[in-house]
Amino acid sequence: MSIELTRNFSIIAHIDHGKTTLSDRLLDFTQTVAKRDQQAQLLDSMDLERERGITIKSHPVCMEYPAKDGVTYQLNLLDTPGHVDFAYEVSRSLAACEGALLLIDAAQGVEAQTVANIHLANEQNLRVIPVINKIDLPSADVPAVLKQLEDILQIPAEEAIQASAKEGIGIEEILEAVVARVPPPSTAEFENDSLRASVFDSIFDTYRGVVSYVRMMSGTINPRDGIRMMSTGKTYEIKECGVFTPKQTKRDQLNPGDVGYIIANVKSSSDVKIGDTITGTIRPAARPLPGFKEIQPMVFSGIYPVSTDDLEQLKLGMGKLQINDAAFTFQAESSAALGFGFRCGFLGLLHMEIVQERLRREFNMDVISTYPGVIYKITKTDGEDVEVDNPSFLPEPQEIETIQEPMVRAYIMTPNDYIGDMMKLVAEKRGELENTETLDGTRVLLTCLLPLNEILVDFNDKLKSMTRGYGSMDYEHAEYRPANLVKLDMMISGEPVDAFSVIVHRDKAEFRGRHLAKKLKEVIPQQLFTVAIQAMIGGKIIARESITALRKNVTAKCYGGDISRKRKLLEKQKEGKKRMKSIGKVNIPQDAFIKVLKND
Amino acid sequence: MSPVFHCYIHIPFCHHICPYCAFYKHKPGKLANDAFIAAILSQLDAEKSVLAEKLDTLYLGGGTPSLLSSVHLETLFRGLRPFISPETEVTLEANPATFDLKKARIMREIGINRISLGVQSFQTGILKTLGRDHSGEDAKIAFEILREAGFMNISIDLMFSIPGQTESLWQEDLDIVTSELKPEHVSSYNLTYEEDTEFLKRHESGELDENEDRDANLFYQAIDHLEAAGFGHYEISNYGQSGFESRHNRAYWTGKDYLGLGPGAVSTIHGIRAKTLPDTARFVESPTLKTEHETLTEEDRRIEAIAMQLRTREGLRINRVCSTNEPCSIETVLRSNPIESMTQQGLIEIRDERIFLTREGKALADPIASALI
Ligand SMILES: Nc1nc2c(ncn2[C@@H]2O[C@H](COP(=O)(O)OP(=O)(O)O)[C@@H](O)[C@H]2O)c(=O)[nH]1
Ligand code: SF4
Ligand SMILES: [Mg+2]
Repeated sequence: MSIELTRNFSIIAHIDHGKTTLSDRLLDFTQTVAKRDQQAQLLDSMDLERERGITIKSHPVCMEYPAKDGVTYQLNLLDTPGHVDFAYEVSRSLAACEGALLLIDAAQGVEAQTVANIHLANEQNLRVIPVINKIDLPSADVPAVLKQLEDILQIPAEEAIQASAKEGIGIEEILEAVVARVPPPSTAEFENDSLRASVFDSIFDTYRGVVSYVRMMSGTINPRDGIRMMSTGKTYEIKECGVFTPKQTKRDQLNPGDVGYIIANVKSSSDVKIGDTITGTIRPAARPLPGFKEIQPMVFSGIYPVSTDDLEQLKLGMGKLQINDAAFTFQAESSAALGFGFRCGFLGLLHMEIVQERLRREFNMDVISTYPGVIYKITKTDGEDVEVDNPSFLPEPQEIETIQEPMVRAYIMTPNDYIGDMMKLVAEKRGELENTETLDGTRVLLTCLLPLNEILVDFNDKLKSMTRGYGSMDYEHAEYRPANLVKLDMMISGEPVDAFSVIVHRDKAEFRGRHLAKKLKEVIPQQLFTVAIQAMIGGKIIARESITALRKNVTAKCYGGDISRKRKLLEKQKEGKKRMKSIGKVNIPQDAFIKVLKND
Repeated sequence: MSPVFHCYIHIPFCHHICPYCAFYKHKPGKLANDAFIAAILSQLDAEKSVLAEKLDTLYLGGGTPSLLSSVHLETLFRGLRPFISPETEVTLEANPATFDLKKARIMREIGINRISLGVQSFQTGILKTLGRDHSGEDAKIAFEILREAGFMNISIDLMFSIPGQTESLWQEDLDIVTSELKPEHVSSYNLTYEEDTEFLKRHESGELDENEDRDANLFYQAIDHLEAAGFGHYEISNYGQSGFESRHNRAYWTGKDYLGLGPGAVSTIHGIRAKTLPDTARFVESPTLKTEHETLTEEDRRIEAIAMQLRTREGLRINRVCSTNEPCSIETVLRSNPIESMTQQGLIEIRDERIFLTREGKALADPIASALI
């Protein structure tokens, strides 16, 4: 098929505005999937994706659409991950497109993620087609949404298509708009016919190895061609190439403008970097396509097996996950409190939750994670720059000239009634309000700069409960900024408990120290001696609790008939000691630590 | 094989069931006591081959052995007679208001020479809380009867840590014992909430409280008072005037073998521990049937020694702290973490290669034992 008849597009939307439903509807309308093959929400193929209603991996699909002008077009739809954690993957998927359907729920209107999405689409110069979905709902308010389009997103209202993915209203109109408004892949790119293909995702298939998803920019790919990954310089041979219908379907050749997949003799998905450019070993391209970045984990946490016997199994599971998820990193570490485990890196909180959930589900692992943290940039007094993702490796306070922390730019949408509460929350989280925009009579859009560290744990939950579910938030990563940060250590009987060390803002250290000391006091059993729990910053104690020593614990009667029972009790206690961690002289059941980490 | 010098007989009958008690016992019911006594004697006959010619100690516990009639006691002791010498310590557990002077004289005549009297408290309110069916006055009368019958070795059981018990109420009990009755021996038990008792349920529901600080203070109060009155604190819960320590209980604590007769009685003989069926009706049918057979390993013996000897005035030999499987030197034990830190904490003392509990250590014998195994 000629390039002129190809359209590459994706759908961007706030969660639950109907992206998956509309995708299914489009496949249905173009008869890409036979009816009997359909299951609801066909594109969310991982169990976890379907359950949570989020898309984690990209799901490209190729449709043939006989348009009203009598010509059959090839439409490539790239379903992208919907969450900011995967913003880089989203940007690479969008870079593989020329247009995007911007889906807005007719009852909900523009949400925070809609705004963030538009920013991404504009960065890639995509032709945006606004679609107002769910017009079948009694609560749909189309005129209000049209006004928001113009006011907030600066998109002319007359461009909007009104649709209901559920009822099948407006589907043909959407397809016609894709054909008419999304430009075909630019031919200007192809004057030089060296191979250039952009990798926008990859998966690991147990039988066929690494399958890379590519958008062809120039040149062609055929089986047995030699290719080179431009970021690593490594060369491979193509075993198979094809397109998505939506199942992977073999083709003899991929042509400019195509969205498809390739299989080469690549061992691990970490060798296929998202955003990388593939070129040929013969007549290689001079320069890679723009936009490539090495994916860097942004959020770190220790993951430990609850039972030490599971360590090897956990490592195996992590290895398997990594094959399919190059953004997830792990490295062995050990902790006095939790034993042996792994320091893991994630793109963000959702990514972290997904990995933990998959370890539990797919590998049956019972794991515990330490408090999540971010990467700090430190300039030492001797001029050396270091990056620290683990509080244990923070240099001593006197060696630190400055510490910088990563910031995010957050878009928070809130009903007018809750603006005050919202601003308070932002201030509490050390945020800085950059802009306030009134959207309509009822809502405002707050743009603020927040430390990533502060929104890691409960920010979104607080926002939701504060606004009774009507508020929404999305964010993008922003610059690093200096901050007055310190390392807070928890000590039990004078010994630091590494699992509870955190890097926090000086102003919050005391509160957090007191809180943790209280929690630890609750879970550590009384001992034969007084146990001191202390929170410390750079040698200075800022909070303390103490667990008073046991005073009386003695069996009253110990005669002939009581002896066996008594012995068995002691044996059980001895067995239990094996599951204890000894910190200082204190024996602490491991699940005490787990309790504190879980409820925090 | 070495003969067995100690014998325990369990008499499971109680007139009235105390709500805190976890012993195997029940009301006498319609069961023919003749048959019960016959069953004990037939069990004795079947198992007597392990016994020494003369017993060092014989102990009748319960339940309430003093509920047995004079006739039954006489029948029972006719069978036991051959194993008793003038030197045998023969103890009977008795409750107030279950015997008169006549019966007490018979008990003395048949060879019983030591009585353990279940007083628990002299305070009406406390006795009510405990659900005992006798008064403090009954207890005093019972004690006088025993003296009159010629018992010169009497032990009194007391209980503390009872909800509602103040230091001054406890002091009144201790005073009656040391100034008025002056027994040779006192057992002083901390009320504990045992499995399958009404008290445990009431404790869990919050009705009956437990207070570690109060318990500790009452415990120290008893030690101080009884020691001042000349009693030796020779085991966590036991105090005796010199020469009146219970030889029978000491046999348990030093790991001696003992034969147990009667329903629910435990025997430990030549490394095997077993229990007679804890069911009076079935016991009467087949008195030699056993349950809960255990073969004791060296390591089992070691752990039991720690559990029990630590509680005694004689203390625990240090080498017991080394596990049977990985022997170790005394020097390493002394430098090991629990021993060193507990010595520093003033919970234990080391003398002559033995470990002794200090006053504070005695109140914490259980976790200390746990730290040592
Ligand atoms: N009433 C109505 N509900 C819809 C429509 N489109 C999607 N939904 C429902 O909205 C919810 C979210 O849809 P989904 O496609 O999973 O949204 P996504 O999170 O953007 O992928 C589901 O319960 C859909 O059934 C529509 O046009 N009308
Ligand atoms: S009298 Fe003694 S054995 Fe009987 S129920 Fe009361 S405490 Fe238990
Ligand atoms: Mg979806």
